[in-house]
Amino acid sequence: MALTLHGTVADNTAVLSRPNAKPLIINGDMQVAQRGTSFSASTSEIYTLDRFKYIDIDSTDNVYTITQDAEVPSGQGFAKSLKVDVATADASLDSLDGTLIEQRIEAQNLQQLNFGNSSAKSLTLAFWVKSNKTGIYVVRLLQSDNSSKQVSYAYTISSANTWEKKIINIPGDTAGVITNDNGSGLQISWLLSAGAGLQSGALRSAWTAYANGDVAVGQVNLADSTDNEWYLTGVQLEVGDFDANSIPPFQHESFADSLIRCQRYLYDPLRGSASFGALALGVCLSTTICRTVISAPAEMRTRPTIVTSGNLEVAGDNFSPAVTATAVSARTGTQAMEVQFTVGSGLTSGEGAIVRRDNNDTAQFRLDAEL
Amino acid sequence: MTYKLYNDTEFGSLSGVIQTLDNGVKKFIPINEENTDYQEYLKWVAEGNTAEAAD
Repeated sequence: MALTLHGTVADNTAVLSRPNAKPLIINGDMQVAQRGTSFSASTSEIYTLDRFKYIDIDSTDNVYTITQDAEVPSGQGFAKSLKVDVATADASLDSLDGTLIEQRIEAQNLQQLNFGNSSAKSLTLAFWVKSNKTGIYVVRLLQSDNSSKQVSYAYTISSANTWEKKIINIPGDTAGVITNDNGSGLQISWLLSAGAGLQSGALRSAWTAYANGDVAVGQVNLADSTDNEWYLTGVQLEVGDFDANSIPPFQHESFADSLIRCQRYLYDPLRGSASFGALALGVCLSTTICRTVISAPAEMRTRPTIVTSGNLEVAGDNFSPAVTATAVSARTGTQAMEVQFTVGSGLTSGEGAIVRRDNNDTAQFRLDAEL
Repeated sequence: MTYKLYNDTEFGSLSGVIQTLDNGVKKFIPINEENTDYQEYLKWVAEGNTAEAAD
Protein backbone atom coordinates (compact mmCIF):
# COMPACT_ATOMS: atom_id res chain seq x y z
CA MET A 1 0.00 0.00 0.00
CA ALA A 2 1.38 3.38 -0.97
CA LEU A 3 1.56 6.06 1.69
CA THR A 4 1.16 9.61 0.41
CA LEU A 5 2.64 12.32 2.58
CA HIS A 6 1.86 16.01 2.50
CA GLY A 7 3.83 18.96 3.81
CA THR A 8 7.51 18.96 4.57
CA VAL A 9 9.59 15.93 5.44
CA ALA A 10 10.06 17.36 8.91
CA ASP A 11 6.31 17.76 9.39
CA ASN A 12 5.64 14.18 8.41
CA THR A 13 8.46 12.82 10.51
CA ALA A 14 7.12 14.61 13.57
CA VAL A 15 3.57 13.39 13.06
CA LEU A 16 4.49 9.82 12.20
CA SER A 17 6.80 9.51 15.18
CA ARG A 18 4.30 10.92 17.67
CA PRO A 19 4.28 8.26 20.42
CA ASN A 20 0.85 9.05 21.80
CA ALA A 21 -2.30 8.24 19.83
CA LYS A 22 -4.34 10.75 21.83
CA PRO A 23 -3.25 14.23 22.88
CA LEU A 24 -1.69 14.38 26.34
CA ILE A 25 -3.67 17.57 26.93
CA ILE A 26 -7.40 16.91 27.17
CA ASN A 27 -9.75 19.56 25.75
CA GLY A 28 -6.86 21.69 24.53
CA ASP A 29 -9.20 23.34 22.04
CA MET A 30 -11.57 24.37 24.86
CA GLN A 31 -14.61 22.79 23.21
CA VAL A 32 -15.99 20.88 26.20
CA ALA A 33 -17.66 22.83 29.00
CA GLN A 34 -19.78 20.43 31.08
CA ARG A 35 -19.92 22.75 34.09
CA GLY A 36 -21.17 25.72 32.07
CA THR A 37 -19.60 28.46 30.01
CA SER A 38 -19.17 31.26 32.55
CA PHE A 39 -17.55 31.15 35.98
CA SER A 40 -16.89 33.70 38.69
CA ALA A 41 -13.44 32.80 39.92
CA SER A 42 -13.67 34.26 43.40
CA THR A 43 -12.83 31.16 45.41
CA SER A 44 -9.41 29.62 45.84
CA GLU A 45 -9.93 26.82 43.31
CA ILE A 46 -12.61 26.03 40.75
CA TYR A 47 -12.76 23.95 37.62
CA THR A 48 -13.91 25.96 34.62
CA LEU A 49 -13.94 24.55 31.08
CA ASP A 50 -13.34 20.82 31.31
CA ARG A 51 -9.90 19.88 32.64
CA PHE A 52 -8.87 23.52 33.11
CA LYS A 53 -8.76 24.67 36.70
CA TYR A 54 -8.47 28.18 38.13
CA ILE A 55 -6.32 28.45 41.25
CA ASP A 56 -5.71 31.38 43.56
CA ILE A 57 -2.54 30.33 45.34
CA ASP A 58 -2.78 32.29 48.54
CA SER A 59 -6.02 34.16 48.89
CA THR A 60 -9.45 34.76 47.51
CA ASP A 61 -9.19 38.45 46.74
CA ASN A 62 -8.71 38.06 43.00
CA VAL A 63 -11.96 37.96 41.11
CA TYR A 64 -12.02 37.00 37.47
CA THR A 65 -14.79 36.04 35.13
CA ILE A 66 -13.74 32.97 33.15
CA THR A 67 -15.73 32.07 30.07
CA GLN A 68 -15.75 29.85 27.03
CA ASP A 69 -15.31 32.33 24.19
CA ALA A 70 -15.63 32.25 20.40
CA GLU A 71 -12.57 34.48 19.95
CA VAL A 72 -9.91 32.27 18.31
CA PRO A 73 -6.80 32.58 16.17
CA SER A 74 -7.81 32.87 12.54
CA GLY A 75 -7.32 29.93 10.21
CA GLN A 76 -6.12 27.45 12.84
CA GLY A 77 -9.25 25.32 13.05
CA PHE A 78 -10.20 26.34 16.56
CA ALA A 79 -13.73 27.39 17.51
CA LYS A 80 -13.41 28.11 21.23
CA SER A 81 -11.00 29.65 23.68
CA LEU A 82 -10.79 30.08 27.43
CA LYS A 83 -11.13 33.76 28.33
CA VAL A 84 -10.07 35.31 31.63
CA ASP A 85 -11.54 38.74 32.27
CA VAL A 86 -10.61 40.80 35.31
CA ALA A 87 -13.82 41.58 37.22
CA THR A 88 -12.25 43.14 40.32
CA ALA A 89 -8.84 44.73 39.97
CA ASP A 90 -6.01 43.96 42.38
CA ALA A 91 -3.09 46.25 41.60
CA SER A 92 -1.29 45.53 44.87
CA LEU A 93 -0.73 41.80 45.25
CA ASP A 94 0.16 40.17 48.53
CA SER A 95 3.62 38.63 48.49
CA LEU A 96 2.53 35.04 47.93
CA ASP A 97 -0.65 35.82 46.05
CA GLY A 98 -0.81 34.36 42.60
CA THR A 99 -3.46 33.25 40.19
CA LEU A 100 -3.23 30.72 37.42
CA ILE A 101 -5.04 28.45 34.97
CA GLU A 102 -3.93 24.83 35.22
CA GLN A 103 -4.35 21.41 33.65
CA ARG A 104 -3.31 18.34 35.64
CA ILE A 105 -2.31 15.27 33.66
CA GLU A 106 -2.97 11.83 35.13
CA ALA A 107 0.30 10.13 36.02
CA GLN A 108 -0.35 6.81 34.32
CA ASN A 109 -0.76 8.67 31.01
CA LEU A 110 2.81 9.97 31.31
CA GLN A 111 4.75 6.73 31.76
CA GLN A 112 6.02 7.00 28.18
CA LEU A 113 8.17 9.92 29.33
CA ASN A 114 10.48 7.59 31.28
CA PHE A 115 11.01 10.25 33.91
CA GLY A 116 13.34 9.00 36.60
CA ASN A 117 15.95 7.35 34.42
CA SER A 118 18.60 8.31 31.89
CA SER A 119 16.23 7.95 28.94
CA ALA A 120 13.78 10.54 30.23
CA LYS A 121 12.13 12.26 27.30
CA SER A 122 11.80 15.96 26.75
CA LEU A 123 8.50 17.70 26.07
CA THR A 124 7.31 20.61 24.00
CA LEU A 125 4.37 22.71 25.13
CA ALA A 126 2.61 24.82 22.49
CA PHE A 127 -0.40 27.08 22.86
CA TRP A 128 -2.12 30.13 21.40
CA VAL A 129 -2.51 33.13 23.67
CA LYS A 130 -3.80 36.68 23.41
CA SER A 131 -4.13 39.61 25.79
CA ASN A 132 -4.48 43.36 25.72
CA LYS A 133 -1.76 43.43 28.40
CA THR A 134 1.60 42.85 26.81
CA GLY A 135 4.72 41.75 28.64
CA ILE A 136 6.20 38.70 30.28
CA TYR A 137 4.01 35.82 31.43
CA VAL A 138 5.10 32.53 33.00
CA VAL A 139 4.22 28.88 32.42
CA ARG A 140 5.16 26.57 35.28
CA LEU A 141 5.19 22.75 35.27
CA LEU A 142 5.17 20.86 38.56
CA GLN A 143 5.52 17.20 39.52
CA SER A 144 3.43 16.45 42.59
CA ASP A 145 5.01 12.97 42.86
CA ASN A 146 8.46 14.44 43.42
CA SER A 147 8.02 16.91 46.23
CA SER A 148 6.63 19.42 43.74
CA LYS A 149 9.76 19.77 41.60
CA GLN A 150 9.12 22.44 39.06
CA VAL A 151 10.32 24.19 35.93
CA SER A 152 9.18 27.66 34.94
CA TYR A 153 9.47 29.54 31.67
CA ALA A 154 8.75 33.06 30.54
CA TYR A 155 6.92 33.83 27.36
CA THR A 156 6.23 37.30 26.04
CA ILE A 157 2.97 38.63 24.70
CA SER A 158 4.46 41.09 22.24
CA SER A 159 1.47 42.62 20.51
CA ALA A 160 -1.70 43.68 22.27
CA ASN A 161 -4.92 41.96 21.23
CA THR A 162 -3.12 39.69 18.79
CA TRP A 163 -3.07 35.89 18.88
CA GLU A 164 0.46 34.54 19.26
CA LYS A 165 1.60 30.92 19.25
CA LYS A 166 4.09 30.09 21.97
CA ILE A 167 6.37 27.06 22.01
CA ILE A 168 8.25 26.00 25.13
CA ASN A 169 10.81 23.20 25.36
CA ILE A 170 10.90 21.25 28.61
CA PRO A 171 13.67 18.80 29.49
CA GLY A 172 13.04 15.29 30.71
CA ASP A 173 13.66 14.65 34.39
CA THR A 174 16.19 11.86 34.83
CA ALA A 175 15.77 11.89 38.59
CA GLY A 176 12.07 12.23 39.28
CA VAL A 177 9.86 9.19 38.77
CA ILE A 178 6.23 9.85 37.89
CA THR A 179 4.40 7.16 39.83
CA ASN A 180 2.31 4.87 37.65
CA ASP A 181 -1.05 5.62 39.22
CA ASN A 182 -4.21 7.67 38.78
CA GLY A 183 -2.89 10.70 40.66
CA SER A 184 -1.52 13.90 39.21
CA GLY A 185 1.68 13.40 37.21
CA LEU A 186 2.24 16.87 35.80
CA GLN A 187 0.56 20.17 36.54
CA ILE A 188 0.86 22.75 33.77
CA SER A 189 0.09 26.25 35.02
CA TRP A 190 -0.36 29.48 33.10
CA LEU A 191 0.25 32.31 35.57
CA LEU A 192 -2.03 35.34 35.48
CA SER A 193 -0.55 37.22 38.41
CA ALA A 194 2.16 36.67 41.02
CA GLY A 195 3.18 38.62 44.10
CA ALA A 196 6.76 39.50 44.95
CA GLY A 197 7.25 36.33 46.98
CA LEU A 198 6.59 34.23 43.90
CA GLN A 199 9.12 36.23 41.86
CA SER A 200 12.09 36.58 44.19
CA GLY A 201 14.10 33.63 42.84
CA ALA A 202 14.88 32.55 39.31
CA LEU A 203 13.06 30.88 36.47
CA ARG A 204 14.11 27.21 36.30
CA SER A 205 14.67 25.51 32.95
CA ALA A 206 15.82 22.32 34.70
CA TRP A 207 13.69 20.39 37.19
CA THR A 208 14.40 21.95 40.56
CA ALA A 209 13.11 21.53 44.10
CA TYR A 210 10.06 23.67 44.70
CA ALA A 211 10.65 27.20 45.92
CA ASN A 212 8.02 29.92 46.07
CA GLY A 213 10.40 32.47 44.60
CA ASP A 214 10.98 30.44 41.44
CA VAL A 215 7.34 30.10 40.45
CA ALA A 216 6.75 33.17 38.31
CA VAL A 217 9.72 35.49 37.97
CA GLY A 218 8.87 38.44 35.72
CA GLN A 219 5.15 37.70 35.55
CA VAL A 220 2.99 40.74 34.75
CA ASN A 221 -0.04 41.41 36.92
CA LEU A 222 -3.01 40.73 34.67
CA ALA A 223 -5.27 41.56 37.62
CA ASP A 224 -4.18 45.18 37.85
CA SER A 225 -7.06 46.55 35.78
CA THR A 226 -10.59 45.55 34.94
CA ASP A 227 -9.71 46.43 31.34
CA ASN A 228 -7.50 43.33 31.15
CA GLU A 229 -8.35 40.03 29.54
CA TRP A 230 -6.39 36.94 28.51
CA TYR A 231 -7.27 34.15 26.10
CA LEU A 232 -5.90 30.63 25.73
CA THR A 233 -6.56 27.86 23.20
CA GLY A 234 -4.84 25.24 21.06
CA VAL A 235 -2.90 23.78 23.97
CA GLN A 236 -0.76 20.80 22.99
CA LEU A 237 1.98 18.89 24.79
CA GLU A 238 4.25 16.84 22.56
CA VAL A 239 6.89 14.27 23.46
CA GLY A 240 10.21 15.45 22.05
CA ASP A 241 11.90 18.72 21.15
CA PHE A 242 10.19 20.85 18.54
CA ASP A 243 10.40 24.42 17.35
CA ALA A 244 7.97 26.63 15.47
CA ASN A 245 8.79 24.88 12.22
CA SER A 246 8.84 21.29 13.37
CA ILE A 247 6.04 21.11 15.94
CA PRO A 248 3.33 18.69 14.79
CA PRO A 249 -0.08 20.16 14.07
CA PHE A 250 -2.65 20.30 16.86
CA GLN A 251 -4.47 16.97 17.14
CA HIS A 252 -8.10 17.94 16.63
CA GLU A 253 -10.42 15.38 18.20
CA SER A 254 -14.12 15.04 17.51
CA PHE A 255 -16.30 16.68 20.15
CA ALA A 256 -17.57 13.24 21.22
CA ASP A 257 -14.04 11.89 21.66
CA SER A 258 -12.98 14.91 23.66
CA LEU A 259 -16.14 14.77 25.79
CA ILE A 260 -15.69 11.13 26.74
CA ARG A 261 -12.09 11.76 27.75
CA CYS A 262 -13.31 14.61 29.96
CA GLN A 263 -15.96 12.34 31.45
CA ARG A 264 -13.29 10.26 33.14
CA TYR A 265 -12.94 13.29 35.43
CA LEU A 266 -16.43 14.78 35.42
CA TYR A 267 -19.72 13.27 34.27
CA ASP A 268 -22.96 15.23 34.16
CA PRO A 269 -25.85 12.79 33.57
CA LEU A 270 -28.24 15.74 33.21
CA ARG A 271 -26.13 17.35 30.49
CA GLY A 272 -28.32 18.65 27.68
CA SER A 273 -31.60 17.90 29.41
CA ALA A 274 -34.36 20.42 30.03
CA SER A 275 -37.17 20.54 32.57
CA PHE A 276 -38.07 17.04 33.80
CA GLY A 277 -34.81 15.74 32.33
CA ALA A 278 -34.20 12.14 33.38
CA LEU A 279 -31.35 11.28 35.74
CA ALA A 280 -31.78 7.63 36.72
CA LEU A 281 -34.05 4.61 36.61
CA GLY A 282 -34.67 2.73 39.83
CA VAL A 283 -37.01 0.69 41.96
CA CYS A 284 -39.13 1.84 44.90
CA LEU A 285 -38.24 -0.06 48.08
CA SER A 286 -41.02 1.55 50.13
CA THR A 287 -43.38 4.50 50.00
CA THR A 288 -40.45 6.84 50.67
CA ILE A 289 -37.32 5.28 49.14
CA CYS A 290 -36.26 4.77 45.53
CA ARG A 291 -32.91 3.10 44.89
CA THR A 292 -31.13 3.64 41.55
CA VAL A 293 -27.91 2.84 39.75
CA ILE A 294 -26.20 5.53 37.68
CA SER A 295 -23.55 4.34 35.22
CA ALA A 296 -20.69 6.46 33.92
CA PRO A 297 -19.90 6.38 30.18
CA ALA A 298 -16.17 6.10 30.89
CA GLU A 299 -14.47 4.58 33.90
CA MET A 300 -13.93 7.45 36.26
CA ARG A 301 -10.47 8.24 37.59
CA THR A 302 -11.50 7.37 41.11
CA ARG A 303 -14.70 6.81 43.07
CA PRO A 304 -16.38 10.15 42.39
CA THR A 305 -17.86 12.80 44.58
CA ILE A 306 -21.52 13.31 43.77
CA VAL A 307 -22.35 17.01 43.57
CA THR A 308 -26.03 17.95 43.82
CA SER A 309 -28.16 21.06 43.94
CA GLY A 310 -31.72 21.98 43.05
CA ASN A 311 -34.94 19.99 43.06
CA LEU A 312 -35.46 16.45 41.79
CA GLU A 313 -38.52 14.20 41.87
CA VAL A 314 -39.25 10.47 41.72
CA ALA A 315 -41.80 9.82 38.98
CA GLY A 316 -43.76 6.61 38.46
CA ASP A 317 -47.25 5.45 37.67
CA ASN A 318 -49.43 8.22 39.13
CA PHE A 319 -46.85 9.55 41.56
CA SER A 320 -44.08 12.15 41.39
CA PRO A 321 -43.11 13.31 44.89
CA ALA A 322 -40.15 15.63 45.37
CA VAL A 323 -36.83 14.25 46.55
CA THR A 324 -36.12 15.31 50.12
CA ALA A 325 -32.82 13.52 50.66
CA THR A 326 -30.14 11.78 48.67
CA ALA A 327 -27.76 9.11 49.88
CA VAL A 328 -24.86 7.44 48.11
CA SER A 329 -23.95 3.87 48.81
CA ALA A 330 -20.55 2.92 50.19
CA ARG A 331 -20.45 0.32 47.44
CA THR A 332 -20.24 2.97 44.74
CA GLY A 333 -17.44 2.28 42.25
CA THR A 334 -15.68 4.01 39.40
CA GLN A 335 -18.15 2.75 36.80
CA ALA A 336 -21.53 2.51 38.56
CA MET A 337 -22.96 4.45 41.49
CA GLU A 338 -25.77 3.24 43.75
CA VAL A 339 -27.81 6.25 44.78
CA GLN A 340 -30.88 6.26 47.01
CA PHE A 341 -33.46 9.03 46.82
CA THR A 342 -35.90 9.68 49.66
CA VAL A 343 -39.26 11.41 49.36
CA GLY A 344 -41.88 12.38 51.96
CA SER A 345 -44.39 9.77 50.83
CA GLY A 346 -46.28 8.55 47.81
CA LEU A 347 -44.10 5.90 46.16
CA THR A 348 -45.44 2.44 45.45
CA SER A 349 -43.17 -0.27 46.82
CA GLY A 350 -41.95 -2.67 44.17
CA GLU A 351 -42.62 -0.39 41.22
CA GLY A 352 -40.04 1.11 38.92
CA ALA A 353 -39.57 4.87 38.83
CA ILE A 354 -37.58 7.60 37.13
CA VAL A 355 -35.61 10.18 39.07
CA ARG A 356 -35.70 13.45 37.14
CA ARG A 357 -35.62 17.21 37.42
CA ASP A 358 -38.68 18.49 39.24
CA ASN A 359 -40.12 20.94 36.68
CA ASN A 360 -36.91 22.92 36.41
CA ASP A 361 -33.86 22.98 34.16
CA THR A 362 -31.35 23.95 36.82
CA ALA A 363 -31.08 21.00 39.20
CA GLN A 364 -27.58 19.54 39.10
CA PHE A 365 -26.23 16.07 39.73
CA ARG A 366 -22.61 15.56 38.74
CA LEU A 367 -20.03 12.86 39.31
CA ASP A 368 -16.67 14.50 39.99
CA ALA A 369 -13.36 12.63 39.99
CA GLU A 370 -11.07 15.51 39.03
CA LEU A 371 -7.41 15.69 39.86
CA MET B 1 -19.29 25.12 54.66
CA THR B 2 -19.95 22.09 56.85
CA TYR B 3 -19.03 18.41 56.88
CA LYS B 4 -21.26 15.63 58.15
CA LEU B 5 -20.57 11.91 58.12
CA TYR B 6 -23.19 9.65 56.64
CA ASN B 7 -23.88 5.94 56.82
CA ASP B 8 -24.78 3.42 54.17
CA THR B 9 -28.56 3.26 54.14
CA GLU B 10 -28.63 -0.51 53.67
CA PHE B 11 -25.85 -1.79 55.92
CA GLY B 12 -25.33 1.09 58.33
CA SER B 13 -21.58 1.28 57.91
CA LEU B 14 -19.84 4.61 57.37
CA SER B 15 -20.36 5.53 53.72
CA GLY B 16 -18.79 8.95 53.31
CA VAL B 17 -18.88 12.62 54.15
CA ILE B 18 -21.43 15.20 53.05
CA GLN B 19 -19.98 18.63 52.42
CA THR B 20 -22.61 21.37 52.32
CA LEU B 21 -21.42 24.58 50.71
CA ASP B 22 -22.70 28.06 51.55
CA ASN B 23 -24.64 28.17 48.27
CA GLY B 24 -26.56 25.01 49.18
CA VAL B 25 -24.63 22.65 46.92
CA LYS B 26 -24.08 19.26 48.57
CA LYS B 27 -21.16 16.99 47.86
CA PHE B 28 -21.33 13.30 48.72
CA ILE B 29 -17.69 12.45 49.18
CA PRO B 30 -16.64 8.78 49.27
CA ILE B 31 -14.09 7.48 51.72
CA ASN B 32 -11.35 7.13 49.16
CA GLU B 33 -7.91 8.66 49.49
CA GLU B 34 -7.60 9.04 45.71
CA ASN B 35 -10.60 11.39 45.69
CA THR B 36 -9.40 15.01 45.90
CA ASP B 37 -12.49 16.10 47.86
CA TYR B 38 -11.72 13.41 50.45
CA GLN B 39 -8.08 14.56 50.52
CA GLU B 40 -9.35 18.08 51.22
CA TYR B 41 -11.59 16.74 54.00
CA LEU B 42 -8.65 14.92 55.58
CA LYS B 43 -6.65 18.17 55.58
CA TRP B 44 -9.58 19.91 57.27
CA VAL B 45 -9.63 17.20 59.94
CA ALA B 46 -5.84 17.45 60.35
CA GLU B 47 -6.29 21.15 61.12
CA GLY B 48 -8.25 20.11 64.21
CA ASN B 49 -11.78 20.15 62.85
CA THR B 50 -14.41 17.45 63.42
CA ALA B 51 -17.30 16.57 61.16
CA GLU B 52 -20.82 16.33 62.52
CA ALA B 53 -21.73 12.74 63.42
CA ALA B 54 -23.90 10.68 61.14
CA ASP B 55 -27.62 10.39 61.85
